[in-house]
Amino acid sequence: MSNTSGQAYAFLSMTPIKAGEDVRLRAYIEGLARTRPFDRLRRTHFARLVILPDWVNDPSQPKADHLTSQYLIFSATFDGPRDSYLDELGKRLAPEAKEIWGRCVGCPPSARGAPLKRYLLHNQIDIGFFVAAYPDATVETVKRVLAQRKQLADFAVRTQGLEASELRHAYQQEF
Amino acid sequence: MAITVSTQLDLGDIQGDILFAYGNEYAFTSYLFVNLDGADGRGWVSALVDRVTTARPWPKGSDGATDKPDTTLNLAFTAAGLTALGVSQELLATFSSEFRGGMAARAAELGDVGPSAPGNWEPGLGTGAAHVLATINAKSSDLLERELTAFREHAERCATTIVNEQHAQLLDAQREHFGFSDGFGQPAIEGVSEHKSVGGGVPQPDGRWRPLAPGEFILGYEDEDSRVDPEHRLPSAPAAPLGRGGTYMVYRKLYQDVALWRETLREAARDYEGGETKLAAKIVGRWPNGTPLVTSPHEEDPAFDPTQEDSNDFRYLDNDPDGSRCPLGAHIRRTNPRDALGWEGLDEAGLLAFRHRIIRRGMPYGPPLAPDESVDDDDTDRGLVFVCFNASISRQFEAITLQWVNDGNSFHLGDDRDFLLADASASGKMTVQGHPPFFVAPQRSFVTTKGGEYLFAPGMTALAALADATESGP
Repeated sequence: MSNTSGQAYAFLSMTPIKAGEDVRLRAYIEGLARTRPFDRLRRTHFARLVILPDWVNDPSQPKADHLTSQYLIFSATFDGPRDSYLDELGKRLAPEAKEIWGRCVGCPPSARGAPLKRYLLHNQIDIGFFVAAYPDATVETVKRVLAQRKQLADFAVRTQGLEASELRHAYQQEF
Repeated sequence: MAITVSTQLDLGDIQGDILFAYGNEYAFTSYLFVNLDGADGRGWVSALVDRVTTARPWPKGSDGATDKPDTTLNLAFTAAGLTALGVSQELLATFSSEFRGGMAARAAELGDVGPSAPGNWEPGLGTGAAHVLATINAKSSDLLERELTAFREHAERCATTIVNEQHAQLLDAQREHFGFSDGFGQPAIEGVSEHKSVGGGVPQPDGRWRPLAPGEFILGYEDEDSRVDPEHRLPSAPAAPLGRGGTYMVYRKLYQDVALWRETLREAARDYEGGETKLAAKIVGRWPNGTPLVTSPHEEDPAFDPTQEDSNDFRYLDNDPDGSRCPLGAHIRRTNPRDALGWEGLDEAGLLAFRHRIIRRGMPYGPPLAPDESVDDDDTDRGLVFVCFNASISRQFEAITLQWVNDGNSFHLGDDRDFLLADASASGKMTVQGHPPFFVAPQRSFVTTKGGEYLFAPGMTALAALADATESGP
């Protein structure tokens, strides 16, 4: 069991949603696709907020199994250590955090800074199996390489059909 | 996996032209968007309900031939329209969020930016003013005029306003304006079009095909998820009675810049050894008459007949895994990848592809740009009225547009986009696989969105409830 893969860390927390808050929380989370607050945490490869309403029960199981409340699942994959990431989250995500974890049971009233960090750590669940898309490349590296790929693709289009010697010359000029 | 039909479709409760196309004898179609503000909306709907055509098979005449009506009428509502009718917000909240938000709110995701942005759309579309879409099909222009006159008079009597209208007409040989035969790559549906399963249904790893569950296209019936759910739960749908027999509808008016399309092909083909027609076929994935590139990579098959049951019978992995016949980013390979995404790992059931199918019922509008080789724009509005039906706009229409048309990642093509529909950002090139590959440089889009709406096409019971104001119970 490991929360890390290469230099990447996978954080997972589950927090119970206060009774009656799930509809507003869901609507708020839907709106985040537009504002993209996790862009402000530049180490984030991937972040996801999911509402888990209940377990799926199979009619053949001997006894039905239900959650006592709905849960908010937060998962994120990011570069480097957990602690500094959560410090950053507590600071830079403060306006949203109040709307998100502020609707969960036990969240400190300020929903920011060190108290929010402690709350998330308290509700953290260790990862059983972590597959990282980029275990060794940081977000910064991935973005740089994508730009390089685009430069190369543009070059290939632009120089299509050139003779070998011309192509070599153009390549040396470009790169 | 055992697949069983658990429900018989109630065809009389489903509006027509969704599961079964009305057919090409209806060469004329008008799309009228109606605003209900200050009008007796329920009364207006009520007077039209009996004229709405359903999916029930046409009766046979005395001579044994199918007796189709001269004209057909179908109704669909926007979220603003349901509100204008007086549907409660509580009931409205049971509809999908993308439907409630409307198409204009999804512009950034759909690539409707720049000239395609909602601010540039035609009046009446994307503003909340369009409440109901009435679609009228007719066998002739005279019959259409007669029906339109009656429709307008009724609208005036009820103080409703027509805020946008679009008239469309089949072109010769069922071509669309870029010159391609269109409209036969439809999903095969259980109990509806099973005979078209080969090539139209879900490809199986063992080489067979199976039809899709009706709930992928009609709400209130089992979809592909219900079948593997031990409790056979139905997919998410509006609360009863609105949630049965209806479906979500997507309407988009797409302007096609035919002169730019021809000019781009002509320019690009100068360096392409296959020539202009072949390059166009590579972009689309079919030859102009519809012959698939996978089955006929070198030339069009003049004998190709899209009505033949095996006309659509092809796969990608067997004989074209690297796209040397039909490019990996060709339009038809993107919008319906069949088995192209592979059977590995998570996708061993083909799940990545077959949950994203739509029923298309589009129609070209505007006159053709003649002659065929002209590259001079004549400043005439022409293109395609794109209409599709699906049980989930986000999972079906939007997934196709966002993940497959406007992005190349799923096909390992980086930034490449669907070159036929490339959005206004013009950042995607077209890669024609080969040794060496051929690239068509990115250019501004041939297609501009001139307006669109997300709609709900209710079942007949639901429509009657909307007319009687009993949709929330008696």
